[in-house]
Amino acid sequence: MSAVAPTETITGQVAGVTPGLKRRRAGVPRAAKHLRSNRTAYLMIAPMVILLSIFVVWPLIYAIYLSFFKISFYKGSEFVGLQYYMFVLQDPKFWNSLLIGIEFAAMVVPIGMVISLLLASFIKVLSKRLASFMKVTVYVPAVISTVVASVLFVFMYQDQGVVNWFLSLLNAGPVAWLNNPGTALPAIAVPAIWLGLGITTLIMLAGLLDIPNSYYESAELDGAGFFKRTFYITIPLLKNILLYLFVTGFTAAIQMLDLPLIMTNGGPVNATTTPNLFIFNSFRAATPYATSFSLTTALLLFVALGLISVLVFRLINSDKAVDG
Amino acid sequence: MHKRRNKAVAFAAAVVSTALVLTGCSAGGGTPTDGGTTNVTFWQQKFEDYQGVWFKKYVDEFNKSQDKVHVDYQVIPADTWTQKLQAAQAAGKQPDIATTSYGNIAAGVVNGQFSALDDYMPAESFSDIKDNVSSFVTIDGKHYAYPMLVEPSTVLYYNTDLVSAAGLDPNSPPTTWDELIDWSTKLTSGDVKGMTIASVAPDIAWSSWGLQYNACGHLPISDDWSKADATDPCYDKLLDLYKSLYQGGLIPQQPKVGYADGSPYGAGEVAMMAGGSWVIGQLKADYPDMYAKTQVAAFPSIDGDPTKPTATLGGWTLTLDSKSKNPQAAADFIQYLLAGDPAIMADFFKAAGYSKYTVRTSVDEALADDPDASADPFMQTISEKVVAYGKQEPGYPFDVALAFGTAVESAMKGTDTVEGSLTTADAAINDVITKQGLAGTAPQN
Repeated sequence: MSAVAPTETITGQVAGVTPGLKRRRAGVPRAAKHLRSNRTAYLMIAPMVILLSIFVVWPLIYAIYLSFFKISFYKGSEFVGLQYYMFVLQDPKFWNSLLIGIEFAAMVVPIGMVISLLLASFIKVLSKRLASFMKVTVYVPAVISTVVASVLFVFMYQDQGVVNWFLSLLNAGPVAWLNNPGTALPAIAVPAIWLGLGITTLIMLAGLLDIPNSYYESAELDGAGFFKRTFYITIPLLKNILLYLFVTGFTAAIQMLDLPLIMTNGGPVNATTTPNLFIFNSFRAATPYATSFSLTTALLLFVALGLISVLVFRLINSDKAVDG
Repeated sequence: MHKRRNKAVAFAAAVVSTALVLTGCSAGGGTPTDGGTTNVTFWQQKFEDYQGVWFKKYVDEFNKSQDKVHVDYQVIPADTWTQKLQAAQAAGKQPDIATTSYGNIAAGVVNGQFSALDDYMPAESFSDIKDNVSSFVTIDGKHYAYPMLVEPSTVLYYNTDLVSAAGLDPNSPPTTWDELIDWSTKLTSGDVKGMTIASVAPDIAWSSWGLQYNACGHLPISDDWSKADATDPCYDKLLDLYKSLYQGGLIPQQPKVGYADGSPYGAGEVAMMAGGSWVIGQLKADYPDMYAKTQVAAFPSIDGDPTKPTATLGGWTLTLDSKSKNPQAAADFIQYLLAGDPAIMADFFKAAGYSKYTVRTSVDEALADDPDASADPFMQTISEKVVAYGKQEPGYPFDVALAFGTAVESAMKGTDTVEGSLTTADAAINDVITKQGLAGTAPQN
């Protein structure tokens, strides 16, 4: 390289060679530059690829390998093929936990998104100072630990808690919010919505601020009210953001562990046993069966979540989303 | 060139250190032998605070008393115990000695988790164990754990002031389940509930073993663990008891703590409580005023027969891990703490407020001169009316117990009928038997 480079001119011609050779030689530095760019790119992504390989890819492959064994830390593992996959798929508690996860996500994500959209729309029309205050206020729950929020809401739901106190003003209750199979899951969904509100609102606000005001001004001149502007301008132009929030929110909600673990431990009568809590509770038994079962359940949950995400993308048809 | 090499070495060192930090690799809890001293690790599940103080005191004394063995003592919270233990087992860093409940010994032996202590401890240590307790830790003639204490799982506590105020006689506690519901109804007033008992499946699963024996004379699985036996009609009345207490509003609808915690009774939120004998220690330490107006009785029986079991005898032991690199050193510590000088265990029972039962004859003798130990009226009642008829905790996987606990909770909270709940439990237990290969694996002591 260094022997050739000095003979190059600025235009890439090489002195004293035939035109055909010139073209070939002229190609060499272009290819080298391309390779250099590639090398830089590979170097830049290498740390992430290495870390992902160590912490994601390898454990996943190893977990799949282990799922074919009945794992014992004392007697040596026994190869059982797909037996544990059958055990998990035949377990009604596994399917029930998936349904509970979906039900929980169906409560948390749409309600959270609607409230966030309303809040973001409200913050957008405020003065700069007020908007800053509101953004901080709305974001506060996002920095509160789920453990703290869980304990807080457990107190609020007690017989003598603030929620039942409100009911008593209406001569109703007290309701055993966390110990009634009908109310426990919605009662856990409330803190989940509250905790997720901050980040969802700020992302939506960022999306709203990206929509040109001229669209709204034109619509107003045509006599469109708030709801028409929301349905015909805001929502279509926020489609990519809404899709992102829906998919990430749905997968996070279906995997919820902390809130049901602390607030109800999956009860009453398994009414709040989300898939991750089901895995966690399976792993709490100190038997080789429990170890293999919870590992296989985790892998199947990984597949189920992937399928749900694909389904959501298919249903919402993201490739036709309008880009504002 | 030299600088470049240094940089490369520094970079490599940084990468390796970062990787080690990120992967959580370390040298572990210490080398097995260190300058002539053998290190052994001891994990204790977190119990009452006074137990931690007692363990720490005698671990330190053991370490000071000689220089051949050093015990590294760690307290592990109960709710993370299994996860931490399994993670340690997977990494080959399991403790040499661990606290193990009687109910987990059989499964551990099947799994090859424990070493028989007979190979490392003198025979007289085992002959000192009371006969009825010895069977709890013996499988195929070998001792796989050394017992520490015994405590019955279910005793009835009641507040004599509230009982008298309700026009009931504190000296004639309820003896049948129907009477218990009657008392609970009369004692429920305003925010004070008449009774508290386990009301979530994981707690019901183990705390109701004695009542399962009481109702049917057996557990919801055949003796050889080959088939479920949960649909026996005699269980209907047990589920009806829990259902009546919950749906009648006679117990807290949203309990703040689990079954093992006696604080709702101590704080006066309930008039009666089903609780283990360990609650006596809690009442003495934290609620002395309530202790003064408390009486204990055997939990009522299905038909009033006081000789039927109402509780299982649970408790804790120390086990020696079969992968321990220094089994003799670990066994030496178990010998010192649980099987040696009886004064050490006597000190434990004193710290516990005599709320637990001894397992060694020599410890009983050491306590014989202590008037507090022999004069405690609660322990006398529990000893004569509960422990005398108590049953050993079952050794089957907790999944079996949980299936029955879920059936009780399901009937309580109305998600299914009594019959439907028991049918579901029966199917779930059969499922556990099939998948975990339980048939014929019941321990034969």
